[in-house]
Amino acid sequence: MAASRRTTRRTFLKTSAAGLAALAAPRGFGATPDLKLKKPIKVGCQTILSGPLGGYGEFMRKGAVLAMEEINASGGVGGSPLELNFRDEELKVDVGVKNARYFVDDWGADFLIGIDSSAVALAVGEIMPTLNRILIVTHGATEKFNEDLVYRKHIKQCFRICVPVYQDGIASAFIAKDLPVKKWATISPDYEYGHTSWKMFRATLKRIKPEVQFVGESFAKFGTVDFSSHISKVMGAQPEAIFSTEWGGEAVTMVKQAKLFKVFDQTKAFMIAMGSAMDVLQGLGADYPEGVWASGRYYFGYPDSPQNKKFVETFRKRWQSYPSYVSETSYAALYAIKKAVEKAKTLDIDPVIAALEGLQVDRPAGPCTIRKEDHQAVYAVPWGRIKHDPNFPMPILGDLRVAPTDEYYRKPPFPPVEA
Amino acid sequence: MGRVLLFQGLVGLTEAMYLWLVAAGLSLIFGVLRVLNFAHGALYMIGAYLTYAVFRACGGNFWIALLVGPVLVALFGWVMEVFFLRRVYRADVAFQLLLTFAFVLILDDVVKLVFGPVYQSPPTPKSLSGAVMVFGSPLPTYHLFILAAGGLVALGLWLFLEKTRWGLLVRATAADREMARALGVRSSRLFTGVFMLGAWLAGLGGALSIPVRSISPGMGELIIIEAFVVVVLGGLGSLRGAFIGSLAIGLLHSYGIVFLPVFELALAYLVMAAVLVVRPWGLFGVREA
Repeated sequence: MAASRRTTRRTFLKTSAAGLAALAAPRGFGATPDLKLKKPIKVGCQTILSGPLGGYGEFMRKGAVLAMEEINASGGVGGSPLELNFRDEELKVDVGVKNARYFVDDWGADFLIGIDSSAVALAVGEIMPTLNRILIVTHGATEKFNEDLVYRKHIKQCFRICVPVYQDGIASAFIAKDLPVKKWATISPDYEYGHTSWKMFRATLKRIKPEVQFVGESFAKFGTVDFSSHISKVMGAQPEAIFSTEWGGEAVTMVKQAKLFKVFDQTKAFMIAMGSAMDVLQGLGADYPEGVWASGRYYFGYPDSPQNKKFVETFRKRWQSYPSYVSETSYAALYAIKKAVEKAKTLDIDPVIAALEGLQVDRPAGPCTIRKEDHQAVYAVPWGRIKHDPNFPMPILGDLRVAPTDEYYRKPPFPPVEA
Repeated sequence: MGRVLLFQGLVGLTEAMYLWLVAAGLSLIFGVLRVLNFAHGALYMIGAYLTYAVFRACGGNFWIALLVGPVLVALFGWVMEVFFLRRVYRADVAFQLLLTFAFVLILDDVVKLVFGPVYQSPPTPKSLSGAVMVFGSPLPTYHLFILAAGGLVALGLWLFLEKTRWGLLVRATAADREMARALGVRSSRLFTGVFMLGAWLAGLGGALSIPVRSISPGMGELIIIEAFVVVVLGGLGSLRGAFIGSLAIGLLHSYGIVFLPVFELALAYLVMAAVLVVRPWGLFGVREA
């Protein structure tokens, strides 16, 4: 708690200063219309800022702050500057709900963004009608958020700007089908995200390549510090390939230990759905075995477009680091808010929701459309193979492959996943 | 199947060794100082970070880092005992908890400020990154090294406590603090020494973890709960209990993953609860009069 409060105050001061600076600055090119909205427009962002996964939150904060600075420097949102406030989500449902209530009831937030945990995203999503604000999730990936909360329960205040588990469980299968292996096993997190991804992976791969077999699985609890027992269990089943949705520091530990157990010599393929997140690339560094298939919810090297290049460059200049995927999603969330508000010409909830539905956002990750039916942003994220390149301070992805979004994004009416 | 199971057990024992290093210090400190050191996980964490800092400073020599890092943690233990803990020995147990917990929060934030929130993970030393075939599967050399290191520490602690004069004083103080003091044991120096030894053990656990586990702020919190389970299971203050308890929890964990995957998390706590029902003072603990 102490940590979160300090972060909040510190970032509050910093963001207020930036907001004031923007107010004083001359108005860009006059491209932004003055809509005479309330000043400033407040956006509350919650993310994990403490503990072993605190690095994720830092990356998300940096993306959001960068977007805010850019937006404010060029006239704000319809003439009003943005103001950001950050709180530590702690990946806990009660904390997440409390944060959301604090943002709206006490701080006066106009929009909520962020959230890393799927469970927190679902819980906060449920109370959005009560709070009556728009929530744009930038990380939590459960398909229940768009399929159940928005599509089935019609909680229209909920949006998601990052690709959901379709990337982890379905796009992965399109990569896996071309690999010369039949026997798969998994080491994945023992909660919603890990189980759902593995189920989608099996269902999809079985459908497009019926001869595959799934020979072993081991699910590691949250906060696992040693994967040795999971590795020896799974390798006991003699798989030809490993699929994993471990992420953050746990992915780092798992890969290092798998390497010691010679898993990369005994198998022909290894896939880690969140393995191209910047924290994993930096954490493993030279230890990251070449050829591992990895993905994320955005990869800084894709697409090869001017927007993306500019984003990566400004991000590096501002923070002396390459952006992680949560940096891009929080950045995109603020630009989506800007575009929707300027289209709706008001901060009233219903017109802004209508403006967000079907909205096209030209984000660093490429052009994306926010689907009307389930409020899910649709854009493609590549899978690629880890390679070491002396031009980069961390391992990067080579051999990028992109599955068509039309094939890997589940569509309404979202039939149940049978695996 | 039999060979796979033997291998799984061996892997469980290596995980047990990390637990043992942390639990040994925790139990030792409780046995002599009667303080439940919540900051013990944080000492494990700074052991990892300081070792990593030395590793970088000395150009990537893991062995020098392994020698120096835990000693730095012991020195930090000296500061902690002399300037802070000493003031709360006579205070209510709640004050001890507050003080040691404050260290957890402060140290978590300090490492985040100094090293940043990203994961750090130096490469495994070349000489230990191989594997040997055991029961038909490759077992990392590093894991064998951990088994040896844990065993050596156990042997060293036993020799120290049973065969040296200092060890005698430690045992006497643990058994009856007032009587030991009446007989002329200078308990304040002894307390400092024991706390430093406990801190060194935690630091060693952290130091040994860096080539194979990711280092991050808050990593201490991930292991401290299990270390407490071990200490309670084995008996508060009993080193033999901490050793047996670590092996038990390590094996339970690795076999639980194979046989009872849905239940694995609760297994350690259930065993602890069962032991406490029969022996509330733990397996090797001493019944309070």
